[in-house]
Amino acid sequence: MEKGYSIKTKPVYGTLIWQQLASHHVVVGGGEGSKALLKLFQQMIPTQPTTVFYLAEDSESKKYAEILTKMTGEPITVCDSMDSLLASINVALEHCYMGTQFYVAGEERLIWPVTKLFSAAGVDDRNVFKEQCGSLARRVYCVHCETINENVHHDIHQCLTCGLNLLVRDHFSRHWGAYMGFMVDGEIPGDIPEAQEIYP
Amino acid sequence: MSGLKVKVTAVEEVAEQIKHFSFVAEEGFTLPYFSGGSHVVVAMDIDGRTHRNAYSLMGPTSDTSCYQIAVRKQESSRGGSVFMHENVLPGAILDISMPTNLFAIHRLAKKHILVAGGIGITPFMSHISDLNRLGYDYELHYAYRSKEHAAFRKEIETLCGNKAFFYPENETGRLDMTALLSKQPIGSHAYVCGPDPMVNSLEVVAKQLGWPESAIHSEKFLAPASGAPFSISLLQSNTVVEVPSDLSMLEAMEAAGIDAPYLCRGGACGRCEVEVVECDGNLVHHDHYLSGAERMAANKILPCVSRANCSRIVINL
Repeated sequence: MEKGYSIKTKPVYGTLIWQQLASHHVVVGGGEGSKALLKLFQQMIPTQPTTVFYLAEDSESKKYAEILTKMTGEPITVCDSMDSLLASINVALEHCYMGTQFYVAGEERLIWPVTKLFSAAGVDDRNVFKEQCGSLARRVYCVHCETINENVHHDIHQCLTCGLNLLVRDHFSRHWGAYMGFMVDGEIPGDIPEAQEIYP
Repeated sequence: MSGLKVKVTAVEEVAEQIKHFSFVAEEGFTLPYFSGGSHVVVAMDIDGRTHRNAYSLMGPTSDTSCYQIAVRKQESSRGGSVFMHENVLPGAILDISMPTNLFAIHRLAKKHILVAGGIGITPFMSHISDLNRLGYDYELHYAYRSKEHAAFRKEIETLCGNKAFFYPENETGRLDMTALLSKQPIGSHAYVCGPDPMVNSLEVVAKQLGWPESAIHSEKFLAPASGAPFSISLLQSNTVVEVPSDLSMLEAMEAAGIDAPYLCRGGACGRCEVEVVECDGNLVHHDHYLSGAERMAANKILPCVSRANCSRIVINL
């Protein structure tokens, strides 16, 4: 990539830090996002009511869920699938008032569906604090056949549906929660550079 | 700046010190559609000099046969509102600007909380017509000193029904911002227009509760502050303008025939911003447009409301 080049839509993630001015905190984590959550609760156990959701899809994550429960001293909602996580958060959002602060930690495949759920409830994406943890794998939206390809580690990826070789750009759609993938050999058919694993 | 010529068709005293004016377009002009929260700038010829004040259009937004504004007489002010009260009668012809909106509703909000203090009710009158038409969820909280000051209360009761809440200060005391803001559903946006202490109190309480800044909207039109006289050197026009103590920088430049840019004339929109090249004193910012960092840099000024505590300032105009 050219020096100094960047794309505005590419999300830049931070480190979770408690927002001191708040009436309530809603904290969501998944997989290795547990480490960001542990660091967050090691900063402080907030005085305001705090609601924690955690997605534990494997046995290692379940262990982190136990440590988290011990740390916070409060029950946390542990879900074993993305669907049940989103459903639980959705129910909780009905009881949230303005002044609630929102935090999400995990892979992008967790961060963006959760952020989209918050947006649908009227919470601006800029007001959701996000920390990226674990794999850097991307969701890629094929602009040719509209398929979302999950878990893409390479810069060039063959679309699972239409078979075109896609260049994965940094151009990120908040609507799809995915990066845009464009046919890489549109100019010279068959001229496909070697794919490199740059999102381990 | 292109404007409109309007004729005053009615003037009515609707509450203590508050007059309601209706305008229709003069021949050759049509009143454009406007959105809720819009204002126009009214030009007045006071003692041979042009004075301009911004007033909210009161709607309904669906009616462009007539524009309505309400003006509170401010005895301590520089004469604009007094002129409107005493000199503008039915039949008078006025120059007004095209409508501009610096106080629009956030369309993605789930609920709109409108908070008005006194004459600050005016922008919400047009908002209400938009919100009713769009079927959006909203509440209007209207605080005023006593029932003699409750302008438009009847109309509001008709338009808003049980969505309107009234707070006569002499009966109920000050509006409790904490109670108002602490149990609002997520996705709410709050809009406030009224006296400074009210706007500040809402902003402080919302911040303490954890409301994001992006969910708070306020409108304050400032009158230009007076101060010690100084002179402006205009770099491009290669001329010098003296600013007396009772005129703003913008007004002084206009009086000298300089066609300086402006829009709101209340320190809100930033249109009149100019580069300060040199100043042998301090800039005195009164606007609520420039950021803290921009003020620190001291190389920009909004001549519509701000001045300088100096003998000479050089601007790039």
